[in-house]
Amino acid sequence: MKSLPILIFVLVALAQLGVPASMAWNRVQTLTHGRVWKFKTAPVDPEDAVRGRYVRLSYDVDRFIGNEKFQSGDSVYAVLKENADGFAEVDRLTNKKVGGDNSVKVQAWWLNDRENISFPFDQYWVTEQDAPAAEKAYAENSRRGQQNAFVTVRVHNGDAALEQLYINNQTLSDYLRAQAAKK
Amino acid sequence: MNRRALRWLRGQLPELVAAGAISSENAAAIERHYGSVESQTNLGFVILATVGAALVGAGIILLIAHNWDELSRVTRTVIAFIPLLLAQGLVAFVLLRRNESRPWREAVAIFDVAAVATAISLISQTYQISGSFADFMKIWLLLSIPIVYLLRTTLGACAYAIGLIVWLFAREMGFMVRSPSPMFFWIAFLLIVPYFLLRYWKNRESRETTSLSIVFVVALTFAIGFTADFAKSDLGCVAFAGFFTAIYLAGIKFFPPKGERLHSVALMGGIGIGVTAIVLSFESSWHMGREFFWGARTLEANIAFALEFLFPIVAIALAARNVLQKRFQFSVAAALFPLITAVAMGIANICETSAGQYIYATNCSFAAAALLNCYALWLAVDILVRGIRANSVARANFGLLLIAALAISRFFDSELSFVTRGLAFIVVGAGFLVANILLFRKRSAVPA
Repeated sequence: MKSLPILIFVLVALAQLGVPASMAWNRVQTLTHGRVWKFKTAPVDPEDAVRGRYVRLSYDVDRFIGNEKFQSGDSVYAVLKENADGFAEVDRLTNKKVGGDNSVKVQAWWLNDRENISFPFDQYWVTEQDAPAAEKAYAENSRRGQQNAFVTVRVHNGDAALEQLYINNQTLSDYLRAQAAKK
Repeated sequence: MNRRALRWLRGQLPELVAAGAISSENAAAIERHYGSVESQTNLGFVILATVGAALVGAGIILLIAHNWDELSRVTRTVIAFIPLLLAQGLVAFVLLRRNESRPWREAVAIFDVAAVATAISLISQTYQISGSFADFMKIWLLLSIPIVYLLRTTLGACAYAIGLIVWLFAREMGFMVRSPSPMFFWIAFLLIVPYFLLRYWKNRESRETTSLSIVFVVALTFAIGFTADFAKSDLGCVAFAGFFTAIYLAGIKFFPPKGERLHSVALMGGIGIGVTAIVLSFESSWHMGREFFWGARTLEANIAFALEFLFPIVAIALAARNVLQKRFQFSVAAALFPLITAVAMGIANICETSAGQYIYATNCSFAAAALLNCYALWLAVDILVRGIRANSVARANFGLLLIAALAISRFFDSELSFVTRGLAFIVVGAGFLVANILLFRKRSAVPA
């Protein structure tokens, strides 16, 4: 009689371990085998910028004019292409699953005569200690006329893993260290 | 109390009876004595143990939220799983060795649930996984619900229902175009219902069952609000009227009142009916300003639409059953609430609409509001009279409170002309006087 609850518990325990483990595993796969894409970050409203201990990221390519109108709730894949400067651009949107290392599942909604795209990598987690400085650095380098920030994202079989946030061609931690040394 | 000694003594009792040293009555008396002592120490310990486990869990989450940048990804991944493995080890221990101890079960359940959240959070931070708080809550709730059943934890079930409320609010964040679907709530809520039924069948009078039902009523109240908002069909008033009436009638049927005192569930239903009636007595509740559903109507929106009728139907079924069995323990005025609301709804919709300050405003909002005002007055007087009859000061006061709320609402309702306001005041004032006279007559008739 006692074995049934134990059996159920073993399944539950495996699920509890499995969900975070598979999250980690998928990311490790994407980070090791994925193709690197650079996304230029876009200006943000200052008050939109602070949301806890992560930097809220916004991208240059999150608006798109295509032939089809997608509603929010549809599952949409963005097929990427690289532009002359080496940054990622949206080539087209489709609701068919595209494999490979050049498509990302995104949320899209039709507003103001164009498709607005929300990429699944819009939060960059930072340490509690670095959060204010990171926030400031990102905001200062993502203004109109001074867009010096970009992120690298690895894409593998439709899964996208945010790798690094670069400011002035330095990783965020290097940039912050350099800034701190200057003072 | 030395629990080890107690366990030893319990093991000895059958042998002592068999050897003829004590009679079986003596053995039962010893069992009873220690049983009652143990349950007393248990309750305090349950609370302490749960608070302790929750604090340890919260502390671990805070430490991890600090996000150690110095550690490598692999180290952080390993650390993420340590609290979870520890908690799961404890769950296994409790299932095998301490399955009868409520403090152990409750405390370990909370610890395991916190450890799941910790593991997911740390993995998200380590691998820069974005995602909304609502999605995180969803996964967390689904991974936690089996623990409620395995460890039979009522605190866990309450926490689960509260988690569902948090999810309802969390999913509203970041959406501007249209309300996101609340359907996950209903599926997740169905998962916890069997646990409630188990508690109910075991002991419906227990504090555990009562607390659980109170939390459930609160959770359902939020869910109905969000579901009505999502369905965009202007039926929220009927859905709420039906819901509170169903809760009131179910409270009376499934938790039979002891003497004249209503059970908390019926009480919550009654208060809900009163408050909703006051809200619907405002003319602005009946403008029928259509809200649009953006894009094509989805299957989910249609299910939400059907869900709005679920509780009104349950309420009517419960009332009909009582009428057929000729049992009138409930207030007829309260039971008629969904019907009255539906009639008012019909009145408001049957009229021509005029495009004015509110686009598609109906011309009959006044008639609908007037009906609800008369109804709210009837309901309040009925509660008052029943309170007087049952000699319940609390219920009589609630009736008076409703009348007062109705009067104040009409006073501030600037949409009514002075003549109608005056008339309404006269009616409300007269009702107040008659009720007071009745209350005092009854009170003076009862010998002190």
